[in-house]
Amino acid sequence: MSKFTKEIVDSYADKLLIGLTEEENANVLNEFEDIDKQIDLINEIPNIETVEPMTHALDDFEFELRSDEVEESEIIDDILANSDVHTEREIEVPKVVG
Amino acid sequence: MNYMHKSITELHEMLKKGEVTSSELIKESLKKSHELQERCNAFVTILDDAKEEVVTDNLLSGIPYGVKDNYSTKGILTTGSSNTLKDYVPFFNATAIEKLNKVGAVKVNKTVMDEFGMGGTGTTGHTGIVLNPWDKTRVCAGSSAGSACAVAAGVYPYALGTDTGDSIRKPAAYCGIVGYKPTYGMISRYGVFPFASSLDHLGVLARSVKDCAIVVDAMKGIDKNDMTTWNSKNIQLSNSLSLNENGKKICYVKELCDISNYPNADEELKLHLENFHKTLELCKSLGIEVDEVSVDRRLLNASYSTYVVIHSAEASSNMSNLTGIIFGPRGNGDNYIDMIKDHRTKGFSPLIKRRFIIGSYVLQKENKERYFNNAQRVRRLLVDTWKELFKKYDAVISPVSIGPAKKISELDKQYDTNTIALDEQLQIGNFGGFPSITIPNGFVNKLPVGVNITGNCYDDVNVLNIAYSLENAMNYKGQIAKEVNNG
Repeated sequence: MSKFTKEIVDSYADKLLIGLTEEENANVLNEFEDIDKQIDLINEIPNIETVEPMTHALDDFEFELRSDEVEESEIIDDILANSDVHTEREIEVPKVVG
Repeated sequence: MNYMHKSITELHEMLKKGEVTSSELIKESLKKSHELQERCNAFVTILDDAKEEVVTDNLLSGIPYGVKDNYSTKGILTTGSSNTLKDYVPFFNATAIEKLNKVGAVKVNKTVMDEFGMGGTGTTGHTGIVLNPWDKTRVCAGSSAGSACAVAAGVYPYALGTDTGDSIRKPAAYCGIVGYKPTYGMISRYGVFPFASSLDHLGVLARSVKDCAIVVDAMKGIDKNDMTTWNSKNIQLSNSLSLNENGKKICYVKELCDISNYPNADEELKLHLENFHKTLELCKSLGIEVDEVSVDRRLLNASYSTYVVIHSAEASSNMSNLTGIIFGPRGNGDNYIDMIKDHRTKGFSPLIKRRFIIGSYVLQKENKERYFNNAQRVRRLLVDTWKELFKKYDAVISPVSIGPAKKISELDKQYDTNTIALDEQLQIGNFGGFPSITIPNGFVNKLPVGVNITGNCYDDVNVLNIAYSLENAMNYKGQIAKEVNNG
């Protein structure tokens, strides 16, 4: 029996604030099954657990942090012009706290 | 007169001599954009008010081009081909666009893509399917579908693309043109919608290797807004092109390229691989040494899942800001949670939803080791394998996909586990950030197919030169799509 169920898929969709149709749910389940089989192939690779995970395309890259200097921002008017509703320098958004 | 089938260099010379004006080129390009939109649905937006630019010594000045719709363009609709951003107009330009603006390049349209770059068919954009200009019953591949379609159809000499799995290089193959993604970080990603940041590359689709080099020369450079960029000032791609590849060494992977791997191969795959092996002979005749190498099949078989797990995980995180609160049409609901859910449920296509759920699942603490960490481990093993090859060889050569463009009516067919490693192998170029270019490699059943050259990081000149020599020895440079009837 599959370890994935319709309820599991719906619970993940809910966490992501996404609603799924029955068909979409079934498609996710199918893809999960495929990926799970493929992951089994990965686990067949000898000593896979000893390999350092690669997180970035150029993981020998030396990043340089730029200095933390305050720069003048001149885009406030552009941002305001781009919003649907604003009052002076404040953009109206739905209430998200208390 | 028609000009848009010409190369960048040819157009520049004509502009400099006064044989044509920037305004005339734009007019022709816009007319062709509208015609192609009717036939193939390649564009989200056509910029009918595009203005001529002063022609300077820069090769791109005054010449029209197309922009994939995930590049932020100031004051111009930029949707990522998603309903969640269907009305979004950025107030700034992506760095790459800013650079092209500075040299006087003229954007004339925004091209359709798979929603947020997620998808390889060109069928999931919110404005509909992009049809292949060679055969409208087939896809262009994706996600840079509209860009490939328009360049192949002769709307302009080049268009911008992005490539997270093979999204420049596969559409280029299916449309019979050239697609190049340079080494990761050569072009700034600032202002381009992120999909899977550790895999995302910018690049270009054009009708010749030289045109690709010219455009990337203009787009590249270190950018304080993208800390993954590096200084490529000493690399001049177009000036470094030469036809002397004598003594170069390339290899192909037996487990991908040998027909004996595919006992159920259809006619198109057989012809595609036969054609590829003829191209290897052509390489040899150019003085390039070609070797067959062997790679652990288990690694190759695990490659596609590795890609799905990593990109789904990164995408689910990157796109958590698509709530309808900050950008896009606001959803309905009595509170912000319901509003976000309404926005995301209605806005995202089924494919995107699937990817997000898979991404969220593989990142959960209890699942992370089995899925996400192991995928990243396979990524390293594949990259290390390719880097070992690059110690001995200048590049890896491979056929692109498993034949010509796929039929739209057959997209729902289950993936063939036997051929998936070949179909999706260009993703290894993204795992390692390798420079990688697809060029046209003739025809199978009258439809174009491609061949890919991939080399080591920062070795773009070498990769382009091998492609340049091969292109020169074949007859497909500068080709424009001719609609064929395959019954």
